[in-house]
Amino acid sequence: MRFRSGQFGLFSVKRFVPLPRFARLGRSPWKLAISTFLLIIMTVNLIAQFSVSSVAQDIPKVLQMGTSADYKPFEFHDTSGGEDKIVGFDVDIARRLSEDLGFKLEIVDMDFNGLIPALQSQRVDFVMAGMTPTPERKRNIDFSQIYYEAKNTIIAKQNNSLTTIASLYGKTVGAQLGSTQEEAVKTMNQEAAKQKKPAINLVTRNRVSELIQEIKANRIDAAIVEDTVAQGYTGVYPDLQFSVIENNEGGYAIAFPKGSTLVAPFNKVLATMKKDGTLERFAKKWFEDQGKPAGIGFQQIIPSIPYILGGIGVTLAFTLVSAILGFIWAVVLALMKIAEFKPFRWLANAYTSVFRGTPLILQIALVYFATPQLVGYDIPAFQAGVIAFALNSGAYVSETLRAGILAVDKGQREAALSLGVPYRLMMTDIILPQALKNILPALANEGINLLKDSALVSTIGAADLLRRATVVGAEKYLYFEPLIIAAIVYYVMVMLLTMGTSVLEKRLQRSA
Amino acid sequence: MLKVNNLYKSFGVLQVLDGITTQLQQGEVVAVLGPSGSGKSTFLRCLNLLEQPTSGQIYFKDVEITAPKCDILKIRENIVMVFQHFNLFPHMTVLQNVTYAPIKVKRLSKDHAEAIGMDLLRKVGLVEKADVYPSRLSGGQKQRVAIARALAMQPEMVLFDEPTSALDPEMVKEVLEVMRDLANSGMTMAIVTHEMGFAREVANRILFLNEGKLAEDTTPQQFFTNPQCDRAKQFLDKML
Ligand SMILES: Nc1ncnc2c1ncn2[C@@H]1O[C@H](COP(=O)(O)OP(=O)(O)OP(=O)(O)O)[C@@H](O)[C@H]1O
Ligand SMILES: [Mg+2]
Repeated sequence: MRFRSGQFGLFSVKRFVPLPRFARLGRSPWKLAISTFLLIIMTVNLIAQFSVSSVAQDIPKVLQMGTSADYKPFEFHDTSGGEDKIVGFDVDIARRLSEDLGFKLEIVDMDFNGLIPALQSQRVDFVMAGMTPTPERKRNIDFSQIYYEAKNTIIAKQNNSLTTIASLYGKTVGAQLGSTQEEAVKTMNQEAAKQKKPAINLVTRNRVSELIQEIKANRIDAAIVEDTVAQGYTGVYPDLQFSVIENNEGGYAIAFPKGSTLVAPFNKVLATMKKDGTLERFAKKWFEDQGKPAGIGFQQIIPSIPYILGGIGVTLAFTLVSAILGFIWAVVLALMKIAEFKPFRWLANAYTSVFRGTPLILQIALVYFATPQLVGYDIPAFQAGVIAFALNSGAYVSETLRAGILAVDKGQREAALSLGVPYRLMMTDIILPQALKNILPALANEGINLLKDSALVSTIGAADLLRRATVVGAEKYLYFEPLIIAAIVYYVMVMLLTMGTSVLEKRLQRSA
Repeated sequence: MLKVNNLYKSFGVLQVLDGITTQLQQGEVVAVLGPSGSGKSTFLRCLNLLEQPTSGQIYFKDVEITAPKCDILKIRENIVMVFQHFNLFPHMTVLQNVTYAPIKVKRLSKDHAEAIGMDLLRKVGLVEKADVYPSRLSGGQKQRVAIARALAMQPEMVLFDEPTSALDPEMVKEVLEVMRDLANSGMTMAIVTHEMGFAREVANRILFLNEGKLAEDTTPQQFFTNPQCDRAKQFLDKML
């Protein structure tokens, strides 16, 4: 089968698996009934024991849903008009679940890669993100029944013959990192090996939109993408085509932490939704208006520009808070480095060495994902980013500061001492102000670097400038346009900062 | 007022002060002379504990300031020092330089400290420079501010380490003038200097250091007309 954009709208053949096909251990409805029954008995017991109010269930009042809202039409940010809502097929289902089970739904947006760690660290209660229950995943997390059966497609440039799995052998093919499509390509390669055909060269990217750009740039020959998504992109880019791969057993299910008690009640509601036609209605709503772009390129972005610009505040706040905390920390470290007490020096030097010797993006990920597991605090992305940045920047600035302090004439120290000035005052009033003046250009540079590096927090889902630009890109099936807008905004901010510091420098030069 | 007993100081293997014992009376002005490297600066810096003596004792008004439990900061408030290179705080105005320590260390009110500061600036002839930054001053002006800054602590004793050595010759006089006035006001002073005329005129006593030893401890009259040791004779021959 081969589809061109616009030709594929036959939703009527939508494919829902028969109900008893449960993700975990292929449970039968019988087992489900029994476990539900047991659950009810346990709940009743609990209520009796603690005489909790009669409406108490085992569903908490608030549930957090993890998702990666860059996967239109399943979950994406609707940013037109400056306000930001996460919407889509999965979100509608989640809302219905929250109504039926009586919990308040909170959506947590993050990178697809972070979803399973988030479940394992109990950061979220469940995940709806077009996630396929593969055997590997089932080892670490639980799944509901499949609520949507997905088909993989090969997306490639028009007029080449990459329409079947066999045609991909020996080619370079992309898939989203950590997705079932990535697994699918690996499976294809096992098949290729059996048939003694050349293997597919697998390339992964974080987002589908990046895969599309790689095809357009001829860096990869094709990509494996879920069909509704492929439909959207081929609608925007007429030079692309997609072909459904028939023998695929994909499907989407809700993911839970291992052993979650939510699986049974969620499955019950999904069954009802399937029976009363709700799922079909949602599918019609989200999948049928695909492939009708409103204008081209930047024109499409215009309604979302206020939303992107809203990220300036986040980026600036983030940079400012990180810079201030990082600086305070740097002062402490620098003082330790010049202390008489040797262990202080060793500690501060070891610290600096570690934080300068490891990538910042790794430090961010560690703080974000390890904090909940180590201290049990569910740290928000913004805070995790600020902490990681402050710890990192502190290491760099402490070195600059130490050099700046040592560069202050030692006569200053003697003059202060010989007037009976205590150490702390001497540092804050005499030495540090002079050291700061010496290193001001270096500090300004650090500030500019922080501002630019702040884009790294988008990897843990903080809604900064870059994150918002990519979100809009996913919504509109565009890649460059929102990024160019973000680039311009970053550049303007960096220029303003540069000008500001040179004015400040001149003024300080005049004062002494 | 100040008693030094058997003072030793070494930097690693280098013996710089080699058993110095002497006394200073209240209001006395002592000139410390000696060849370069003889330990004059080190001796002076030991007196307000900028250098920690290796052994020996220093008593200030019968309190042993070399004792471990002694509050060094409190002593330094009373024994202030003026340096060869002025060491003014470049990020503060002249008046701020003068009032900083009285406000922050002695906890005087700002008004009180500024009244004292302006009075001192008048005495050293720099009232009109009160709001100027040190980078705008000549060397002689800087050193006069540094003296005002030291005096603003209302100390009981002032140490001078070659206060005119970094100055152009035409500026030496204005600084010596200020120091002479200070000596005449009865301040206790210890001065390391190469200005032989000044030492002879203003000092009550001469301490001559040679290789870390106190080679002569005598009156200016005696020292300049009839030095006892050969080293002092050679030194004077070179200087005069
Ligand atoms: N912090 C220090 N560490 C090591 N050696 C030092 C230190 N300070 C001074 N010295 C040495 O001690 C000796 C005496 O130095 P000091 O500065 O007291 O001499 P001085 O009499 O003041 O000489 P000058 O007339 O040149 O100022 C010199 O050999 C000097 O190099
Ligand atoms: Mg000296």
